[in-house]
Amino acid sequence: MRFEFLSEAEVKQVHQATLAILNQIGIHTTSPRLKKLLVNNGCKEQGDRIVFPPEVVEKALSTAPKTFKVYGRDDSHMLEFGKNKAYAQTCVGTPSIMDLDSGEKRDVTLKDLEDYVKLADALEYIHVISPIFPRDVPQEIIVSAETVAMLRNTTKPLRICAESSHEMKYIVDILAAVAGGKEALRQKPLAYIEVSPLSPLEYGFDPAEALIDIVEAGLPLGVIPCPMMGSTGPMTLIGCVAQHNAEILAGVVASQLLKPGSPVIMSPRVTFMDMRSGVGLWAMPEMGTAAAASIEMARYYGIPSTATGYSGAAKSADAQSGYEHLYNALMPALIGTDVLAAAGSLDNVLTSCFAMLVMDNELSSVVQRTIQGVEVTTERLAVDVIAEVIESHGNFLAHKHTRKYLRAGELWDPPLGDRQTFEKWALKGEKIEKKAREKAKELLSNHQVEPLSAGVDAELELILKRAREEAEIF
Amino acid sequence: MSREEILTRLTEAVIEGDDSLVVELTQKAVDAGVEPLVIINDALTKGIRIVGEYFGSGQYFLPDLLLGAKAMDAGVKLLEPLLVGTSREFHGRVLMGTVQGDLHEIGKNIVGMMLKTSGFEVVDLGVDVPAGKFIEKIKELKPNVIGISALLTTTIGRQKEIIEVLTEEGLRDQVKVMIGGAPINQAWADKIGADGYAEDAITAVEICKKLVAAS
Amino acid sequence: MKFELFSQEELLQIHQASVEILKRVGIHTTSERFKSLLLDHGCEEHGDRIVFTEDVIEKALKTVPPSFKLYGRNDSHVLEIGWKKAYCQTCVGTPSMMDLDTGEKRDATVKDLEEYTRLADALDYVNIISPIFPRDVPQEIILTIETATLLRNTSKPLSICVESARELPYILELLRLVAGGEEALREKPIATIPVSPLSPLEYGFDPAEALLDVVEAGLPLGVEPCPMMGSTGPMTLIGTVAQHNAEILAGVIAAQLLKPGAPLTMSSRATFMDMRSGVGLWAMPEMGLAGAAMNQLGRFYNIPVAPGGYCGASKTADAQSGYEHLYNALMESLVGSDIIGSAGSLDNALTSCYAMLVMDNEISSVVQRTIKGVEVNEEKLAVDVVAEVIESHGNFLAHKHTRKYLRAGELWVPPLGDRQTFEKWAFTGEKVEEKARRTAKELIATHQVLPLSPEVEAEFDKVIARARQIEMGE
Repeated sequence: MRFEFLSEAEVKQVHQATLAILNQIGIHTTSPRLKKLLVNNGCKEQGDRIVFPPEVVEKALSTAPKTFKVYGRDDSHMLEFGKNKAYAQTCVGTPSIMDLDSGEKRDVTLKDLEDYVKLADALEYIHVISPIFPRDVPQEIIVSAETVAMLRNTTKPLRICAESSHEMKYIVDILAAVAGGKEALRQKPLAYIEVSPLSPLEYGFDPAEALIDIVEAGLPLGVIPCPMMGSTGPMTLIGCVAQHNAEILAGVVASQLLKPGSPVIMSPRVTFMDMRSGVGLWAMPEMGTAAAASIEMARYYGIPSTATGYSGAAKSADAQSGYEHLYNALMPALIGTDVLAAAGSLDNVLTSCFAMLVMDNELSSVVQRTIQGVEVTTERLAVDVIAEVIESHGNFLAHKHTRKYLRAGELWDPPLGDRQTFEKWALKGEKIEKKAREKAKELLSNHQVEPLSAGVDAELELILKRAREEAEIF
Repeated sequence: MSREEILTRLTEAVIEGDDSLVVELTQKAVDAGVEPLVIINDALTKGIRIVGEYFGSGQYFLPDLLLGAKAMDAGVKLLEPLLVGTSREFHGRVLMGTVQGDLHEIGKNIVGMMLKTSGFEVVDLGVDVPAGKFIEKIKELKPNVIGISALLTTTIGRQKEIIEVLTEEGLRDQVKVMIGGAPINQAWADKIGADGYAEDAITAVEICKKLVAAS
Repeated sequence: MKFELFSQEELLQIHQASVEILKRVGIHTTSERFKSLLLDHGCEEHGDRIVFTEDVIEKALKTVPPSFKLYGRNDSHVLEIGWKKAYCQTCVGTPSMMDLDTGEKRDATVKDLEEYTRLADALDYVNIISPIFPRDVPQEIILTIETATLLRNTSKPLSICVESARELPYILELLRLVAGGEEALREKPIATIPVSPLSPLEYGFDPAEALLDVVEAGLPLGVEPCPMMGSTGPMTLIGTVAQHNAEILAGVIAAQLLKPGAPLTMSSRATFMDMRSGVGLWAMPEMGLAGAAMNQLGRFYNIPVAPGGYCGASKTADAQSGYEHLYNALMESLVGSDIIGSAGSLDNALTSCYAMLVMDNEISSVVQRTIKGVEVNEEKLAVDVVAEVIESHGNFLAHKHTRKYLRAGELWVPPLGDRQTFEKWAFTGEKVEEKARRTAKELIATHQVLPLSPEVEAEFDKVIARARQIEMGE
């Protein structure tokens, strides 16, 4: 299976535009560390901007690793980045949640974070956990608190977004405590950590500093700016992709200049805008098509990537959410990406929803199934079987070939969807959204997460306590 | 191999849907002097009953069921010439066919196999069967139930026709009528005066059992 | 944009398997006309089957037109079949309907056919109309009534699936009345006529005769068998595709032998089965994957393709319907599809639903948009625009480039979906299904269909009266 959203020539054209942007416009940063790193390694100052000569970019791209692994605290959950497996990742940072009982939107609490992570832990086709945004936790230690809450409620790998560097030391300490030390964490990272510079091409102090800290800690870095077509990027989809590619590559280059060979991920997020209301849109088709184009650039560079993914503009887990999420996930997945993010989100990734997460688990299952492709072999082509069935005036149901391939998993088995007769379905007449909600409730009451050891748990408590004290929260 | 061992392995061969092994072991059983009816009841039928149970509990799928039935049939076929004077016992006799103008038979075949594995004697008239043929065979075979299948939206009217002819011929109260096919529903069954409709093969067996019990 | 499910080598392997099936197993038919046509042109009898030779296959495939046009009864609807435009076609022959008021399933009536056709006429991204199956019409003249009803309620092109040739003369008469005569209809066909032989490889009397009559009448033919993986085709997806390709090619070949250059489509419908209940499934992913595979074969032969796609196993217009329909249609269209059928259907193409048709219009819109791809050129890459915006410390919203491309249609405008703020949406809190239902009601109440002339209307009545007389003895 091969999907070329852009032709090879077009990919090169976008690459050339990217090099031109980096070489002529470059980035701006207020982090002296980032500035020094770049300038010391061949980049140039041009007024208040730092520009990247093409040879610096090309050299850095050549040292970025094509594959690496991220682990869960249980070895069964290992992510192979660079293998285009389209792992599903929960949505990060949604301040709101649809209440599981009332179905109403409200603020996220720490309890929601725990429940939501637990639900994600239970869902087979959700592979990476990112925190929703609890509103009842002190802002100064929020990422630390989120990280602890996640580790307590899942054994799956994590993805953490670091908007500043001030919590980095706690986050690294927390992860190291669970991994069994900093060296063990470097060997088997339990998380990848993303930084989000501003568009267009602005590496503000916090993300720039965080980027450097992450690379120095030896953890996989993700570079995830988030331009919006027509406001913080050009109105043309391909123009926005080119600018976005440039701002992501700036981070990739920085990581490789700091530590050649350090694991890095391109996480494109080209969003757009309702040009009447100004609402930021993570909807279809622009989100999915731009992701396909950006991911094709990552494929061209041979650098692991993530995309969004399971997102849309719909406000509830309805049919619109169904087709938007699938569209945006399928387009980049067919190109080949490692992670599809925003699972469980509604309303342009502003809200998380338990039922939607269960539905995205279903979509993730079919996406992963799809990218396995269809194997063509003589036995599968089954010409002899067809001849036998027709000669014997029989049917395929009673042929051993049928049983063999049925048992071998030729048919997709939907974790959630309905395939009954109308009559059986009509006994309850349940829409899929309702079934998803019921399943979420059931999993939350039954699913057991393997707990952390008492020792580790206590250690995490101490780290949180230290973070609180140092932030002067009592 | 002891007789018990042969029968046990024969049962297992039916469960596994291995028709050639069933033929081999059935012959062994005959050679060892086991009564044909004992082979059928204590091995072949037993095996297919277990297949049915596995299917009911969700371990087995339709192909497992059909391969099981095919394997059992292979054994029965070998034994039939030896069964002179004795006869097998069935829940009832069901006559099935796809209506005139329609060649779709897969649904009917699945129901037929399910009925067989549930202990019914099934006579399949095949596809494109005119009303006259149904009548003729009903007179000849006196089935408890007839099953009329139609898939095309343009042929389902034939189900109605057959029931009308049955009434004209004065046979309507002698046989129960079941209908099926993807475009069929209970409302249609009620409208044309059919005794039973099932939306899938599993339900068809339940309804068939009820109809036979009531007949 | 280019999506290949199979490599060139795999494609050849599938083609070879289909050729082997045609050569070794061939077809069976009870139509003497069909049989002698094939035998007269070099096919051979093997027992009760007719097998094809490499020569016949090769020769016939050469004369298939790669494209043709399909017209509405006014010139605004001209469809270019062969250009892979993914035209959306309503589902044929559903005996049931979801009532627009109650939302309950019930038998379809002639009134439904009228209203449903009028709704389809009003929807911009539904391009071809096929009849649902009214239960209150005499069976003997059903296709005649359906055709007249379609023509009275839409000016868009039609697709009329015939199960036998019996009513074909009336259908042709109606079409000719509207087109302005026999020659005019041949010049500008206003309908495609699919026929559906049985799987595996069985050309029964009725479809075989109908196929010949359709080709003789000079109307575009659809060859539309409908195998089911594991029961009337092998359990492997690729095996069913190979068989399906062979049985479609058999019809394609017959059409070309009868009349070289006769326009036609490969109308694939590879379905599968729930292996517990035996329910026939038109669901994702198998349906979409097989459709995509057949489309790639069509591209390989340069023959237009028309798979089913807007379909799924869901019983209601819910999120499952949303993602199932999108999946099947998107996969097929990315490979390249001329027509995608089954729009507005639920429950494995057994039921039609007004609201679902409105949602499929939305999905069709995004599918048709997606396959246009994105243009890559210097102005769209917008490097200078990025430089200007950054230099001026401005933003893209106030740049003329933005306005220009916004006006040029760079953003997709959803015909139905919601993109408001949560707060605005929450006033009604309407799910997209509800909005679709409301839209359907509005359109049915207000949409005006271009009427037939009174003369043509009068002739229609005569044709129907004659059909009644001849077919029903009235």
